[in-house]
Amino acid sequence: MSTTWLPCGVYHQDYIHDQGWWQTRFIKTKMILLFAILFIVIPEFADAYSLSVCNQIGYTILGALGVQLLIGFCGQITLGHAAFLAVGAYTSTLLILDFPWPKFMMDLGIAYPVSILIAAFVAGFWSVLFGLPSARVKGFYLILTTMAAQFITVNFLITGYVSQIGGRGQAFSLPPGTIKVGPWIIDSDIKVYFMMLVLVIGCVIIVANLIRSRVGRAWIAIRDNDISAEVMGINVVKYKFSAFFVAGFIGGIAGAFWISNLAAISPEHFPWFWSLWLVGVILIGGVGSIHGTIFGSIFMVVVMEALQLFVMQFVDTSWGEKLFTDFLFLKEAAFGLAICVFMIFEPKGIAYRWWQMKNYFNLWPFSY
Amino acid sequence: MTGSNNTNKQDILLELHDIHMFFGKVCALSGVDLKVRKGEIHSVIGPNGAGKTVMMNIINGLYSPQRGNIFYKQQKINALRPFKRAKLGISRTFQKVEVFGGMTVLDNIRLGRHIHMTSGITGGSVYIGKTAREETEHRRFIEEKIIDLLEIESIRHKPVGMLPYGLQKRVELGRALALEPELLILDEPLAGLNLEEVEDMARFVLEINEDEQWKITCVLVEHDMGVVMDLSDRVFVLNFGNMIIDGTPEEVQNHPEVIKAYLGEEDMYATRR
Repeated sequence: MSTTWLPCGVYHQDYIHDQGWWQTRFIKTKMILLFAILFIVIPEFADAYSLSVCNQIGYTILGALGVQLLIGFCGQITLGHAAFLAVGAYTSTLLILDFPWPKFMMDLGIAYPVSILIAAFVAGFWSVLFGLPSARVKGFYLILTTMAAQFITVNFLITGYVSQIGGRGQAFSLPPGTIKVGPWIIDSDIKVYFMMLVLVIGCVIIVANLIRSRVGRAWIAIRDNDISAEVMGINVVKYKFSAFFVAGFIGGIAGAFWISNLAAISPEHFPWFWSLWLVGVILIGGVGSIHGTIFGSIFMVVVMEALQLFVMQFVDTSWGEKLFTDFLFLKEAAFGLAICVFMIFEPKGIAYRWWQMKNYFNLWPFSY
Repeated sequence: MTGSNNTNKQDILLELHDIHMFFGKVCALSGVDLKVRKGEIHSVIGPNGAGKTVMMNIINGLYSPQRGNIFYKQQKINALRPFKRAKLGISRTFQKVEVFGGMTVLDNIRLGRHIHMTSGITGGSVYIGKTAREETEHRRFIEEKIIDLLEIESIRHKPVGMLPYGLQKRVELGRALALEPELLILDEPLAGLNLEEVEDMARFVLEINEDEQWKITCVLVEHDMGVVMDLSDRVFVLNFGNMIIDGTPEEVQNHPEVIKAYLGEEDMYATRR
């Protein structure tokens, strides 16, 4: 992990420090500052709109983390990740709506967190189910089998059957007060924001830790060279499945989290385009990098919001109005364009630029 | 080591018995017998396409032969997958380096420790207590035993894909050593190296074979006859799927068929010295 150079005069005397995350005082200060901004400055000063953008970013990070894990770290290309988000969201919703929770659990606000956890496990196992073909096929063929996950799960099972449970029609709405974490009822952007922060930080820590430990190394080995990974004693099939499980698990958390923001879900929230979108996020952010997931999510959400604001300037004119009603298509076009531009000019993504910048300043001003 | 074949059964670490391997109608190996004794360097030589690499792939399980048996420590291992054979103590390097290009040197070697580590998904995701301790302990082993031996201290944090070929070969050897194998298959460890690197690599091979803490039995596939004849205890000669002789370097050098098939009439093998 530590492929950046240490600044002059800094050296480690034991392995624990050498394997640590925040190796210098400067980095520690920087990270504490970042957390201060995230937990104090943004909630204090941001308006409702900015907060909702932040929540959108957090949701994208949670969704893209699983995709990053599969594509970027384990080399198993997936184009059906929205299915696992949907499984998480629907599991959590159904548990909240239909499960006879004991009253004290509802009162203490444990029901929703527990349902998130269950949703994560269900999505994890669902993901392994669609990861089964990875034991036999790889590359292009695996993409097609993961796409099957999307169509079987969302278009067939959820739209056709799960949505019909209870005869509510297509959309499930969550009555106010049911989404409760501990003493807090999650009913405003700021509360969703805090929940998002906790979940994103937790999931990022989990993935980052996994990547620097035995399991993650096995995944990366499978990505880089599956034959020599097997020769080095890695049960390739087992580790591919475990990657699918963890990716689905995080996807389940993402889906179950997002219902707190939507307060109503329908299959349209998890279209195939969203799976593609998540892959685009990691392509732009940088494949094989956790930083990349975060940068990619911020970039994509902010650029799209900026584009929307820009189009809204011209909503009075006739062509502007037309553009605004067709914004979804414009968004898709912008998404395609962004990927093309990144593939041509920065195929390693924003994370690579960030890495270069950090190294530059580590040596600055004496770069020799 | 003498050329006699009457060794104790306990001493035999690996035995290939009457191995037949076909790819379609092409016969890659026909009736090959190999006995590798504990502690020796057993070379396999032969012209290009003789089936040497196929033989190595059979030993560590990437191919399974249509006929014949493989015994490792008197245990039949025909049906075991490569990763299970790794757990038994069989490790290898590849002819074309098969390192994990996106990982650092350190991570490549750490990966070699995979079978000796225990942490799983839950342990890894929290990375405190047992997992962190385990990582530190193995790091110590890697630094003190492997990186020090192979003299790759300066590149330990570099991504392997960016290193020159000679160093990649060294990293690959380090990764194979991290497994602490009993049997190490070296598939052309010297191919593509310059003279100095060849000398280094030969030194490493001798060291892991003779040093008390390693004592690794090696199966060496190599074209550099000077090195093969110097290092090996026994040499096995393969010619298009057929075994010619399995004997000491002297026996092999003087065997008329080997000279005809591979070595040539002149002292070709001495040229690189």
